[in-house]
Amino acid sequence: MCRHRIAIGIAIGYCLVAALWAQSVPAPELPEGTTKAKATTACTECHDSRIILQQRLSKAAWTKEVDKMTKWGALVDAQDRDALIDYLSSNFGVDKPEYVPDRTRSAESKHKK
Amino acid sequence: MISRRHFLKNLSGAALAASAATPILGWAADSPLVIPGKEDLIVRSYRFLDLETPVESFHTWLTPAEHFFVRNHMHEPSTLDAKDWKVNITGEVERPYALSLAELGKFPTHSVVNTLECAGNGRAFQNPKVPGVQWQRGAVGTGRFSGPRLRDILDRAGLKGTGKHVMFRGLDEVPGKVPPFIRSIPIEKALDADTLVATHLNGAPLPKHNGFPARALTPGWIGAASCKWLAEIKVLNKEFEGNFMNPAYRMPNQPIKPGEAAKPEDTHPVTALDIKSLISSPAGGSTARSLAIQVQGVAWAGENNVERVDVSTDGGNSWHAAELGRDQARYAWRLFSYRWKAPTSGDYTIACRATDNKGRTQPANPVWNPSGYLNNAIDQVKIHVQA
Repeated sequence: MCRHRIAIGIAIGYCLVAALWAQSVPAPELPEGTTKAKATTACTECHDSRIILQQRLSKAAWTKEVDKMTKWGALVDAQDRDALIDYLSSNFGVDKPEYVPDRTRSAESKHKK
Repeated sequence: MISRRHFLKNLSGAALAASAATPILGWAADSPLVIPGKEDLIVRSYRFLDLETPVESFHTWLTPAEHFFVRNHMHEPSTLDAKDWKVNITGEVERPYALSLAELGKFPTHSVVNTLECAGNGRAFQNPKVPGVQWQRGAVGTGRFSGPRLRDILDRAGLKGTGKHVMFRGLDEVPGKVPPFIRSIPIEKALDADTLVATHLNGAPLPKHNGFPARALTPGWIGAASCKWLAEIKVLNKEFEGNFMNPAYRMPNQPIKPGEAAKPEDTHPVTALDIKSLISSPAGGSTARSLAIQVQGVAWAGENNVERVDVSTDGGNSWHAAELGRDQARYAWRLFSYRWKAPTSGDYTIACRATDNKGRTQPANPVWNPSGYLNNAIDQVKIHVQA
């Protein structure tokens, strides 16, 4: 029984550490706007903002994406759908400059820095 | 043959787009991202982890594990203990059974040097843009994969005559109501002597992000056919029906106009990789200080063989045969090199074009499709020579 509790404790500890590590990795914020908070909640619950920042899509394509993600579990209230599509297509439309990603670094180079 | 005018008109290719990029986030230039075992990779996404290899790394036949790209549709398994891990063999077989990692190791081991490429590599260069991870050039790598043959594992289970497809289910953790990442391959490919349940990459256990402790290795095919963190290998009497077989990972049967949708009944699954090549050196946007320039790169052809690679240094007006590297294997890329002496200082566009033993060659522009798969357009880099 005692061993069982220790094992559960270790497992919980592992999950907490993993969760904290994941949270400690910064992700760029979504752009300012009245829908920023709702977009953050709806989208970044499952994936980080980089996936959004790198898209350059028309409003029609964003509409398809929002509807697909809602079907897949993104929490988007019906009354927020159009505002979310507007927010994404105005910030990540086809005419926006390319998003330039960062690179992973070796642990060594981080320490050197 | 591509005319010079046509070639120049379409200088919207990979490297040009890459070199024209302007950072929009100051944050990106000062990243603290450290991912143990994965060094100097381009972070397309952290959660889910999608890492692209910079093409300048492609100067060796085998891609080191720390530079090998990572593609995930979902979260990686949060807990995976190799001691407790098992893969279940189920479905249209006489004797379903489970294998531990130690038991897998008792099968005869086979090695395959394979070029693994994400179907969406080059998606970023589609015009009009399509949704998805915006891979540019480096969602590809070549490794020596080792492990038991899938057919040996299936033989032990006693394959039934009704078995027509083999489905792979991994331990990917599915967020929300996202469909699970499950895919299948036809039985003929599953029984091929080079199709593996791979446990090793380049002689070492698979890295965690590349599918430890075991992944499918479907050689010559898109990366999605080689599911990671295997939990179940199920023999089916038909192709698996699920999102990642249909509508995902399908190509239109006939060419469609850019921006158009394809009718679902007019599509087929993406399987083998196409003929393709990349320039790894010189880097796009770089300045050469000498007129003597060594053009280097890699070329691969899925299940076919690379027959030749030609290099152009004058915008596609003339092409010259490159020298192919000595290292070769059926499903692996070939290194190539071409010594070029620039006539004078100035700006140049260098391009490469591979041809395979079936006569397939690379198009000038990406063949547009709604998901941006299999972009094998001619690669090109712009450089400045200042000698």
